[in-house]
Amino acid sequence: MADSPEQIKKSIKTYTIIGLVLFLFTGITVAVATVPALDIGVHGFDVWDMILGLLIASFKATLVGYVFMHLNHEKKAIYWIFFGSMVFFAFMIALIMSAKSDPIHFNGFNFGLPF
Amino acid sequence: MEIPYIFTPRKDTGMVNSKIAIWLFLASEVMLFGGFFSSYVYLRLGADYPWPERALPVLPGLINTFVLIFSSVTVVFAWAGLKLRKWRMFQVSMGITIACAAVFMVLKAIEYNVKWHHQAVRLKDYTILEGHLDYDKKANTGEVTKDGKPVFAEADQIHVATESLTFNTLRFHKPWVEELLRQAGSNGAKVELAEELSIQGEKIPAGTPLSVDLLTKIQKNHIQSRTNNSDVRTEALRAEWIATYAKPENADKKGWELAPGVNIDVAKIKDQLMLETPSVTFAVKPTTNFWFYHRDVKEGATQSRLRDDTVLNGKLLDSPVAFHNLDAIDFRHVVMKAEEKGIDPVVAIENTWLIKNSKEAREAWEWNKAQTAKLEQQLLEKHGKDENGVAKRVPTATERYRIGWKDFIAKADGVDRGKEEIHVSEEFMGPNYKLREPKHTFPHLKVPRDLVFLSGKFTPAWNTYYAIYFTMTFLHGLHVVGGAVVLGYYLFCGKKMYQSNPEWLANRVEVGGLFWHFVDLVWIFLFPILYLM
Repeated sequence: MADSPEQIKKSIKTYTIIGLVLFLFTGITVAVATVPALDIGVHGFDVWDMILGLLIASFKATLVGYVFMHLNHEKKAIYWIFFGSMVFFAFMIALIMSAKSDPIHFNGFNFGLPF
Repeated sequence: MEIPYIFTPRKDTGMVNSKIAIWLFLASEVMLFGGFFSSYVYLRLGADYPWPERALPVLPGLINTFVLIFSSVTVVFAWAGLKLRKWRMFQVSMGITIACAAVFMVLKAIEYNVKWHHQAVRLKDYTILEGHLDYDKKANTGEVTKDGKPVFAEADQIHVATESLTFNTLRFHKPWVEELLRQAGSNGAKVELAEELSIQGEKIPAGTPLSVDLLTKIQKNHIQSRTNNSDVRTEALRAEWIATYAKPENADKKGWELAPGVNIDVAKIKDQLMLETPSVTFAVKPTTNFWFYHRDVKEGATQSRLRDDTVLNGKLLDSPVAFHNLDAIDFRHVVMKAEEKGIDPVVAIENTWLIKNSKEAREAWEWNKAQTAKLEQQLLEKHGKDENGVAKRVPTATERYRIGWKDFIAKADGVDRGKEEIHVSEEFMGPNYKLREPKHTFPHLKVPRDLVFLSGKFTPAWNTYYAIYFTMTFLHGLHVVGGAVVLGYYLFCGKKMYQSNPEWLANRVEVGGLFWHFVDLVWIFLFPILYLM
């Protein structure tokens, strides 16, 4: 663990850089949603904007978890606890998705994707 | 008792107990917010109305995102300050973190406040109107409310030409009785008992004026009579059952076989019964216009009912919903319904009550159509057509069928959509009516009451989008407040612990900081999902 004063001083620099990266990606999220020239997919909001927006958000969340929450040098037990809950979360979303697919006229999961 | 392994790690886990505890808590939080995020997905996929995409003001949401990210940086700085044994660094960083929490909540409060003061009306033809209802300051009725404020006509009021009032003697609401008396008084009308009433032998003659005391007296009598009558009936029924069972031919029979034959002889108990008065009617002479706010009355053509079950018998007068500033017209729901029926959306829109009856709305619609055509042309020139000859990019449903407040401003300013000048405060608070008044930016509109299907503010009751928006952001806001309280406790009450055991305080701040980062992490998803998608 980064506990010695030297390591902590080094981490402060890392935290500042990560903070700036998070600022930058927040700007990018808003830009791709509001600036017409950066719009991907069809004009206006569509599934590609959703995927891009969620990817950026996931990237930002990973940075927060990895660096600010010290998941980059954490004990095994923490990984089990946290990722266990993530699995549960994924299960819940999958359950909702499957509930949306008509159980009688089932013809594969449709997540609104164009392929 | 001392809690073990608070600042020295446990050998088996290699961590202090508080860290394991906060991570277990955060795991439960992931599941809690996960539940709400999956509800959001479910509501959005299953919505039977056009989902309000990108409906919230982006600027306050963006600032709040920056504020939370910044506070996430300062909270790790605070922890690093403690690790480096720099109390000042801890103080400053933690102070900034808490200030960020305050800024976040203030912006949230402004956003909520704007929603709660913005009126929306859905007409029966699915047109949605947004804006502000107001009183017509010129149409002073000459009346004053109980608080001494003048009463103006044309708000969201229901007016009834009342011939008589029927009170529910159990449920009547005293302030409303007083309000009815006040309105009658200011119109020079009399409210008198319609028919003679007998209360425990005392006769109350027809023509007795309405008063709260009289209604209370009738209420007391009604409750007494009901209690007495119920006792008398129970006693008589018991006697009937005893008599029935006593008959030798009924000895072997079950209760349910005998039940149809066991009845009270009304003639026997007639003298013991007291007169119940569940309702009492008062005549209004002459017929008078009573008004109540829409939220308090369920209106009908010949009978309207207040929430306390008081019935106003009489004709419903013209009680329009009056928009003094109509700042958005949304036809997307009209289009959705038209497409379901296979009708051309534009034909459906041009046949709505609004387009047929409001010149200003018609002008705005024509302006919006021209703007959409312009945009369509621009997109075609820029992106061209695909191999089937279909334009690659076309205007969205929102651009085609929703005329928002910024569009009204662009129209009034005589510029193209998106080129309008918006005041910074308007990005937070919505349109500034005073500023826009000279150009008559926002139309004035009266909607007949019988065309209104649903009216309300942008509260959770308006639609499932606002329901999930308020649920998730309010829950997140509670986390911000909770986190700030805990971090504030470390800041303001932590000095003593810092002097005696700085490592313990550092561990506490790390644990509090972990929660704070989680709050930030949730917002990182909430912001794009609610504001940008």
